[in-house]
Amino acid sequence: MKILGIYNIKGGVGKTATAVNIGHLASNTGLRTLIWDLDPQAAATFYLRVKPKVKASVKLLRGKRELDDVVKGSDYRDLDLLPSDFSYRNMDLLLGENKKPALQLLRLLRPLSQYYDLVILDCPPNISLVSENIFRAADALLLPTIPTTLSLRTLEQLLDFMEGHGLATPVYAFYSMVDRRKRLHRDVMAGPGDPRCRVLSTVIPYATEVERMGLERRPVTDYAPRSNAGRAYQTLWEELRTEVGGLNPIPRFDLPF
Amino acid sequence: MSSPVPEGFLLPQDIDAKDLAGLIGGDSHCVIDRTTGFSIRYHDSFDWRLHQAGLRLQQVVTPQGGLLRLTSAEDAETVASESFDAVPAWAGDLPPGDLCDQVAKRLAMRVLLPLATVEGVATELRVLNDEGKTVVRLNYLAMQCRSPAVRQARSLWPRLRLTRVRGYEDVFADLARRFESEMEWPEAPACLFDEVITAVGREPGDYSSKLDVPLRPDEPAVDATRKVLRTLLDTLERNIPGTRADLDSEFLHDLRVATRRTRSALSQVKRVLPDAVVEEFKARFAWLGKITGPVRDLDVFLLELPHYRASLPVAMAGDLDALEARLRTAHKTEQAKLKRKLGSKEMRELLSRWHAVLDAEHPPGEPGWFADLPIEHVASKRIWRMYKRVLKAGRAVTLDGPPEEMHELRKECKKLRYLIEFFRGLYPERELKKLIRALKVLLDDLGEFQDLEVQADKLRAFARAFDADDPATLPTVMAIGALVADLLRRQQAAHERFAACFAAFDSAENRHRYKRLFKAKAQQAV
Repeated sequence: MKILGIYNIKGGVGKTATAVNIGHLASNTGLRTLIWDLDPQAAATFYLRVKPKVKASVKLLRGKRELDDVVKGSDYRDLDLLPSDFSYRNMDLLLGENKKPALQLLRLLRPLSQYYDLVILDCPPNISLVSENIFRAADALLLPTIPTTLSLRTLEQLLDFMEGHGLATPVYAFYSMVDRRKRLHRDVMAGPGDPRCRVLSTVIPYATEVERMGLERRPVTDYAPRSNAGRAYQTLWEELRTEVGGLNPIPRFDLPF
Repeated sequence: MSSPVPEGFLLPQDIDAKDLAGLIGGDSHCVIDRTTGFSIRYHDSFDWRLHQAGLRLQQVVTPQGGLLRLTSAEDAETVASESFDAVPAWAGDLPPGDLCDQVAKRLAMRVLLPLATVEGVATELRVLNDEGKTVVRLNYLAMQCRSPAVRQARSLWPRLRLTRVRGYEDVFADLARRFESEMEWPEAPACLFDEVITAVGREPGDYSSKLDVPLRPDEPAVDATRKVLRTLLDTLERNIPGTRADLDSEFLHDLRVATRRTRSALSQVKRVLPDAVVEEFKARFAWLGKITGPVRDLDVFLLELPHYRASLPVAMAGDLDALEARLRTAHKTEQAKLKRKLGSKEMRELLSRWHAVLDAEHPPGEPGWFADLPIEHVASKRIWRMYKRVLKAGRAVTLDGPPEEMHELRKECKKLRYLIEFFRGLYPERELKKLIRALKVLLDDLGEFQDLEVQADKLRAFARAFDADDPATLPTVMAIGALVADLLRRQQAAHERFAACFAAFDSAENRHRYKRLFKAKAQQAV
């Protein structure tokens, strides 16, 4: 089982769209995939038409409930969701109740390896105990980054934090919500980048198709797979698969007998 | 709710996927997605070896490719599976792995044959909640099946399969209960196998080389004997097509066993059938035994070849290649002759005349003296006599005596075993099993003693057929020499084991068992 954290300190950079579309594409190749919506804003949960929970996950984090009990199937075969919970806003406090709080998330995830080939963590923005948990649990971090000066600064902040905490999790950044008409975007993308992280070559364009996810409540890769954005996510998934490894398609025989 | 929620239903023939969607609540609550064509092919050996081991082998073919699945007959759970697109035949051709090992262990020398093929279309449906979210998945399956013997497709009951969506188990249960109690649709078995096999007119285990004829003790001997012979004729006939097509070596083997048993019944069940019938068919079945001999001999060598190679030092194993090539050429020639002879006028006559004797109300000609005696008496008498002969001959065998003593004893033992098997329906199964086991141990030893000698003799003959002056064939001749030495050593060991095997057969307990089962009934006044 591979764990992929989708993260950025900054909000509104296309994290949830990445989590949902990548999750959908992965499940399409036969990988049993779980998206864990760790963001109390519950956008991934909304996109996949599941109602957020109110308090179920508190028990989960306190070890009084199995992860498996809370999981919901999505509209897609092999794609499940661990819905967001409003109480996640206090997650730092909850995690802090445990011994070795920075490893609590990994402890919860381990038993899932018998059910899933890939777990995608859709993370809340900011740096906190939750994010440290995510950095420690993930096999790789994927950072959607808008090509602006401010975004690059938050990327640097993250890399500093990881370095300071001795975290060696590989970091893959990619440019998201790119508008090639903007000179700033073009300039930033042409820049040298931070040597501590790998910048993927796939670029996700700024596109109304992606914004429509809120209306459609489906992944772009489902309702507009041939659109620019749909194709870009497909390329991103393939690049990611090559970079991270261990995510080869699994032949699926889903006839019910 | 106590009983488990059913996951599959058999639907009435007139309900299709659209009707189903309508029943569930129309467009807003149930959407029809894609349809996929698929086929499922079931395979087993001619004698149902996988079925006998509680297994089913099926190949599911979808647009994504073929998947071989070995499942448990009891609960339809997958035991092993493997991607495989070709038609499976020999276990050795399957991709190495658990599935291959499991199948090979059961099949041994038998080939896989197609039992039946299901062709179908699966329609996927999804039940949605008020948020438009999928909460249950459905599969509607329309299917038909055929088999090599049933060319015209026969339709199967449409099936509905429900699949849970995680987190929405309650909706799943409600829907399944509705189908169960409101629609009154019967629950579908987890596996299609039984329905398919019945639809193509077969029954699992409908062929076995084991003889098991139900008989009544007071039945006239002639009727019971004809029943046994009729069963043997059926076995024989069922193995003819497979033998002619050379599907695997067991067809011919079973055909030969049925022939030997028939000959044994004709000569050992004395004065029951008319003399003229006995004389005619002893000759006819002797002919059948003779024409089937050469191919069987070659089969035995070809089956033994891997063991021969393994018994040689690694450096010499390849020296048998030339022998194998000769065996295969000879096999091809002999098989062609056999095929012709099994389709010949003599063979057709044998079968039709034998049918006439066995199927008529009374066999033609003067009935035998014992024809109307109760079979229990006749059978017990024959078995008791034969047993006493085996005891006498066995007690006379010595380690330094001639090999013919052992060969003769083997023949008597076989006659005894066949007699017991013909009439096993008359005696308590449990007692008989113990008795047959002791006899089998003895027969195996005697058989090994003789077979190893025969193999050694024939290998010597093969060696002579190679040109001794040709340096290319010398390693082959020498390898055969090594084999012969090994075979004769093993034969010697079988000879040395004989005393112990016979002592077990001649134990007080076993003697009592024979006495109890056969002596009193043999001596009863009738």
